[in-house]
Formats: sequence, C-alpha cells, structure tokens
Amino acid sequence: MPEIGGSDLFVLEFGDILHYYTPYTTTLFVLALIFTALAILSRPEGQVDIAFGGDAYYAKETAVSEMRFRRFMTIACGLATMGAMGSGDIFNFTLFASLVGITNVGIVAAVKSRHVLDAAYEYGIVAMVATLPLFGGAALILATTGTLSIPALAAGASAVPLIGKALLALGVIGEGMAPFYAAKAEMFRAPGAPYVIMCSLSSLLIFLRVVEIAITI
Amino acid sequence: MIEYLAFAAIFGLLLLGLHRKVIARVQTRPGPPVWQEILHALKFSFKSTWVPKTASATLYVGVVLVGIGIWSAALFIVLAGESILILFAIYMLHKVVEHGFGLSSGSPYGKFGGVRSVISAASEIPLFVTIAAIYLFTGSLLLSDITAYQAVHGPFLLIAPPVAIAMYLVILSKMPYGPFSIVESKELVSGYKTEHFGVWRAGISVIDGLKTFVLLYAFVAIFIGAVPFSLALVIMTVILVSLSFVCAVTPMLSPFDSVTIQGLITGAMLAYVGYLWWVMP
Repeated sequence: MPEIGGSDLFVLEFGDILHYYTPYTTTLFVLALIFTALAILSRPEGQVDIAFGGDAYYAKETAVSEMRFRRFMTIACGLATMGAMGSGDIFNFTLFASLVGITNVGIVAAVKSRHVLDAAYEYGIVAMVATLPLFGGAALILATTGTLSIPALAAGASAVPLIGKALLALGVIGEGMAPFYAAKAEMFRAPGAPYVIMCSLSSLLIFLRVVEIAITI
Repeated sequence: MIEYLAFAAIFGLLLLGLHRKVIARVQTRPGPPVWQEILHALKFSFKSTWVPKTASATLYVGVVLVGIGIWSAALFIVLAGESILILFAIYMLHKVVEHGFGLSSGSPYGKFGGVRSVISAASEIPLFVTIAAIYLFTGSLLLSDITAYQAVHGPFLLIAPPVAIAMYLVILSKMPYGPFSIVESKELVSGYKTEHFGVWRAGISVIDGLKTFVLLYAFVAIFIGAVPFSLALVIMTVILVSLSFVCAVTPMLSPFDSVTIQGLITGAMLAYVGYLWWVMP
C-alpha cells in the first residue's frame, strides 16, 4: 500500500474488516477526539448580539434541555468522524460520512431560530442528495473490483475506475465542503460554539480522509 | 526540541514585523520597528488575563492550546521530512481553530470573523491541487522524497510554476493586511481575535509566528528543494517581502469578491492538474 500519510502505526482487525492508523489518520483522529472532549467539557457561550437601530445589545442563553440534545448530537458526530478517520473499508467510510451529515443537522436542529433552521433544512437536502454519488461511487468501485477493502484496492489487483473515486469525493464534498457549504455557513450563526464547531470540523476531516483514500486506491 | 519551536516562533514573528515594515514603507509611512510583533507577544504575556463572562470558558482557552499544538506538530513534520498531506491537513484545520476563536467568546465581531473564515473555505482547495500535481510527478507525498526528486530533476518552481503560484496564493490568503484578510478586517475590530487578550493573545501571536515560519519553509522545501538552513531563511525572507509588496498595493477585497477570486483560482488549478494528468505518461 502506498504510504501517502506515512507508514502504519496501528492496525485494528475485525475479521476481514480492519481499521488502520497512519501518522496522517492518527492526527485527524486525535483532533476529532480533542474537539469531542471539548464539546463534552464546555458549556455554551452566551452569544451577544446587537439590536440594530439602537445602542442596545442582548445575550442569547442556551436552555439546558437544548444543550443536552445538541451535546448528544455533537458526541455522535465526533464518534462518526473518528470512525471515518481509521476505517480501512470504503463501505464503512461512506456510512460514517452519511452519519456525519445527519448529526450535523441534529446539532442545530434544537436551536429556536427560524434562520438557522432554514439553513439546516437546506443543508440537509444537499447532504441527502450527496449520498447518491457517495454510495454510487462505492457501488461502482465494488462492481468493478469486487472489494471495498482499502488495503486490497491499494494492492492494485484490479484498477479502480477514476469515476468511482470522483463520485466518492463528490459525495463527501456535498456533506459540507466548498462549494456546497453555503447553507452550512449560515448554520454557524447558531449559539453553542462547542457544538457548532463540530459541524465544520467533521466535514473538513472526512474530506481530508477521502483525499487520502482517493490517492491510496 | 523546544529550541526549534522557540526559534521558529521568534523568526516567524520577526518576518511578520518585517511584513508590516515593508507595507508601511511602500505606502510612504515610517511603520513600526521590525521586532514589533515580538514585543507584542512579550507584552501580552504579562498583561492581566481572564475569561469573558459570556465565553464558553473551556473552548475559549482550549482552542489556543489546540492552535499552538497543531502548528508545533506542523513544524516537526516539515523538519522531519514527513508527509505533506499532514501539513496541509493542519493548514485546513487551522480554519476550525479560527472558527473556535471567533465563536467561543460570544462576541458578534469574533463570530463574524469565524463565519468569514468558514465561507473562505475555497482558499484551501488549491492546496490539494498542489498535492495532486506534486504526486503526479513524484509518486510520493513524503517531503524527503519530494526534495530527493528535486535534487535529480531540478526545482518544482521551474518544473510546474502554476503549482508554485497556487501555493504562493494560499500563503498570501493567510497573510495579515492582504487582499484576502477578510477574517480580521477592521470593520470587525480584529475579527476572530477580537476577544482574546492577555496571555491568550500572546498564544495567538505564537500561533501566527509558527504558521508563517512553517508555510514559508514548506514552500522552500517543496518548490526549491533541499538548501542549507541559512539559505532557506534568506529565501523565506525574500518570499515574504514579495508578499508584503502584494499586500501593500492591493486593497482588501469584500468577502464576496474574496471568495469568488479564490474560487476562480481553484478552477484554474483544477484545469491545470487535469491537463497534467492527461499529458503525463
């Protein structure tokens, strides 16, 4: 297997499915872990907003029930992201990536702001449509090569079609990278920084991982 | 180990001071002394420090430590000749750190700085185009392999100049007072940095120093190759002065224009790599 992100540090086997950790994927995994821990330990900020048309300002408070639900979704998102970082199987990776899309909507779903909910709805549609190329790419690779194991594909027994890699990358980009992040940027207006940050971090990390997968296979 | 970190942070801050000085002289102002950024970092280290009442305290402090951690890791990756994929992952994750700085305080200025950081995500894509182009030539992303390739075939600056231009623009987009510096523009006070003061601000200065050093050193290693360390420092200074000239004569773009231009650069680079992929055996 080409050592794109450095040589393997640790391989975790589940029968014929394995998770592998190179310096690259370990770096990404550790960052997902740190920000998940920060989400568990931090309380949300009191977001201050300016009342336009006057010199007043007000602070938005996050209710405890809302905070609990959003923290749960953030932890779920962090776990899905960590799973995607080490996965040595493209099918598992696609499942983790689509779970990231669902939990990203969940992180802001409890926010009582019409603007944020509209943005979350738009993002949800884009993320849902993006699962078509995501799973389509994986299906194409499976149909062509007979396997979705990354080490087996990297061994080069049969050539992986470029269109399969492109669809896989397109699916991940649709989960919240440029240029499909426009709706997502509006979601970041929501209060609750420790949770909202996980929305951008998770998309970034799964994009960084799919780049490694596309080059490796 | 700590001496490498200290040197990189101080030299990076010196470069940022030189950046301000060059911009000022091009604009016929006297400008601050070149060691001003180092003085800032020292001054903030001894200022009174606390956490704002509205802030998410753990995140507000934690994100400073994460920022220093990722750029320290980036420095050792470059010095050890490890995979540039990790280096560029760290560059992209710096955006999340900026986002964290901006959102954690609760300040609207910081928040909009953080949101602007996220919407300028298109500026990172040329990085991956750079990686893809280099991989097409070398078949490896280890910095040690890339410098070895250049020792045989000549510097990438001459082999694939558009790729070097793309990375130059990526570094430009992270330079303060530049055309793409929308995340810390003056209508947002200091953007995502606004509410971090005292020791936290000194931490941001260290992050900025390390980031400047790492990006310029990586540019030299990737596009010029293995050169003596002292010569690398000279080349880094020359590149920085050229960036300062660009920043001095270019107005800051509006957020919309900034994102549009970065998107166009990304499109052009994708076309170039597509061409390379098509013509290369």
